[in-house]
Amino acid sequence: MELAWYALLGVFFAAYLVLGGYDYGTGLMLARSGDPAARRGLLNAVGPFFLGNEVWLIAAVGILFGAFPILEGELLAGLYPAFAGAVTGVILVTAAVQLRSRPASRWARTAWDRVIVVGSALAALGWGAVLAGMLQGVPLNEEGRVEGIGHLFTPFALAAAVTMVALVAVHGAAFLALRLPVDEAGPVAALGRRLVPVALAAGVVTTVVALLSDRVRDAAQQPLAAIAMPVLLVVALLVAWVGFGRRSPGLAFTATSVTLALPVLLVGATLWPNALYSTIDPAASLTVADAAASGPTLRLLTWLTVPLLPALLGFQVMLWWVFRGRTGGRAPVYW
Amino acid sequence: MDPLLLARLQFATTTSIHFLFVLVTLGLITLLVYLQTAWVVTKKPVYERLTRFWGTLYVINYVLGIAAGVVMEFQFGLNWSGLSKYVGNVFGAPLAIETLTAFFLESTFLGMWIFGWHRLRRGVHLALLWGVALTAYISAFWIMAGNAWMQNPVGYEMRDGIAHLTEFSALVTNPAFRMAFVHTMLAALVTGGILMASISSWHLIRRTADFELFRKSLRIGLVTAALTVGPLLHFGFIQLADMAPLQPTKYGTPEEKEAKIAELTTAFGPGDYEPPTIFLSSLSFMFIIGFLLVLICLQFVLLPKDLLIRLRFPLWILLFALPLPFVAAILGWITREVGRQPWAVYGLLRVEDAVSPVSGGVMFTSFLGFTLLLGTLAITNWVLIAKHAARGAHDDLALGRPPEQEPADDRPDPAFV
Repeated sequence: MELAWYALLGVFFAAYLVLGGYDYGTGLMLARSGDPAARRGLLNAVGPFFLGNEVWLIAAVGILFGAFPILEGELLAGLYPAFAGAVTGVILVTAAVQLRSRPASRWARTAWDRVIVVGSALAALGWGAVLAGMLQGVPLNEEGRVEGIGHLFTPFALAAAVTMVALVAVHGAAFLALRLPVDEAGPVAALGRRLVPVALAAGVVTTVVALLSDRVRDAAQQPLAAIAMPVLLVVALLVAWVGFGRRSPGLAFTATSVTLALPVLLVGATLWPNALYSTIDPAASLTVADAAASGPTLRLLTWLTVPLLPALLGFQVMLWWVFRGRTGGRAPVYW
Repeated sequence: MDPLLLARLQFATTTSIHFLFVLVTLGLITLLVYLQTAWVVTKKPVYERLTRFWGTLYVINYVLGIAAGVVMEFQFGLNWSGLSKYVGNVFGAPLAIETLTAFFLESTFLGMWIFGWHRLRRGVHLALLWGVALTAYISAFWIMAGNAWMQNPVGYEMRDGIAHLTEFSALVTNPAFRMAFVHTMLAALVTGGILMASISSWHLIRRTADFELFRKSLRIGLVTAALTVGPLLHFGFIQLADMAPLQPTKYGTPEEKEAKIAELTTAFGPGDYEPPTIFLSSLSFMFIIGFLLVLICLQFVLLPKDLLIRLRFPLWILLFALPLPFVAAILGWITREVGRQPWAVYGLLRVEDAVSPVSGGVMFTSFLGFTLLLGTLAITNWVLIAKHAARGAHDDLALGRPPEQEPADDRPDPAFV
């Protein structure tokens, strides 16, 4: 039961990074466009999906709180700066995307668009640092509390955070190549292709730093999953590169989606059976089983929410289906 | 810097901001459902414009509801890790259920509703709005159930210092929950009604060209507020009666108070178990505002023959009534939440045991950063709402604007190949 809920938590967070990831990737792309109409076009490509994407994060944290309360407290408080940064980014993007078109002045819209760029970068940096923070462990003491925040600031966390920004940017380009009108999609795909080597380089640096870090090596309980992560990431990025080159945005988008889902799932697998590794006392590490809520709570959540999961997914699929295809003159414009 | 005080201040500011926007969300969505349903049924264009105009204000307002809500959700873990550690087994459940079964769908539906004009069939588009409203109420239901558990923990047993869930149904039959939920929902409806009547009054005072439209929304708003303000007060009083025996240190007679404090001192050691008296003044001011609102809503008797509009001064009264429901809501929140101190969960977990072991510096940075961020966004949001409200239901409303071009082929280009 704990494992099933842990997997569900992973799926929701991975889905958030994939779906929210292209929101932020699109946000980063705004920095490159000086033309207000083009920027608006990019945002309206995300338009109908935006609220439905962000909500996966809320649901993931809901699962974290309900099904893994002990993990929730220590993880968030233990990685305070990383979460605070990510949440700040999420809020800036959420507010700015929805409000940017409400004022009519060009000046105000440009200002809001800058907020979106900053927010997107912050969110990506934050989530990269969160995943790195889990992978390098936290100083969890015998009482099960994490003291201090200095442990987060390592070269590995920095490298992972930057890599996440690169991955998100490539992913955003892949989404836009898939969604913008054909004549605008070409340049975006070319940009995506140029960004792939950047992401690859960042990934390699992160891998090297990880291999040099005692903390990461100690925390990795499942070496196979740990090795699979960089290997699969590189493969997926190469597939994306091919997809961009062959004008097959669907392939590129699928591959970049994998690059964002993989880190979440493999961080979980690498740490297993731990959820939170203690760097000061490995015996004090928090296992997934210990972190989970007690039996009655999990059973209740299973009975009340699992029957509804098909409906949740069904309405998301309806959203994707209704607004499928490229944007064009007929697309409703609101953001 | 005392991390506990900062964490409490941060929670208070985030929750207050969240609450102000959520009230409008809940109130307006109900009125929007009425407006759009009327449009689909009667096909009168005035209802379409009403839906688009009030829908715009609703959507702008919604932004801050989510933004502050996200901060709140994360704040539980960031600043109050003891809460999830000691009582997460019970308290986490309603929150998890809320996000999965309500909020998830609410946002998915709303995205489709905003972008679905002219793209979805009218019936589907209307159904989406009903979905948004229904899930919004379910959301409020679970959040209030969680809050009520902190006011009066039920359905649990303590093992090894950690609360375990024993009876979930107790959470939804909690006497601290039922009437408080009804009271809060009615407060949202009164707020939505007054907001609609107030903005309409402004346009009628200025004699905007759109007389018919704002006459209609004035009536809808005022009638909604008039119908709900009585029950709002009624359930407020019932709620007080429900709460009194549950929190003797707050509402009890001096003897009951002393007995409870003695009991708590034996269990938790000596400490200050009396709630700050500010809750009493909040309560009194809320009563005053409540009765004022009743008087203001009584003006609905002037609706026949448009007396209300022709006399003019009632319009001014409605305009200036706008802040009242919001002030009352914050006062009500202070009464309920500050009156619970020093408890995170009444009689079970003190705030000082619930706060995260985070240094004062970190907490201060977080408090300052998030307060400035949310405060700035809240003010910007209100300015935007005010500007859009003042512009009126002009022809260029962004929400539901028909697409300029009529394409020959309705089918979108295939993209995923």
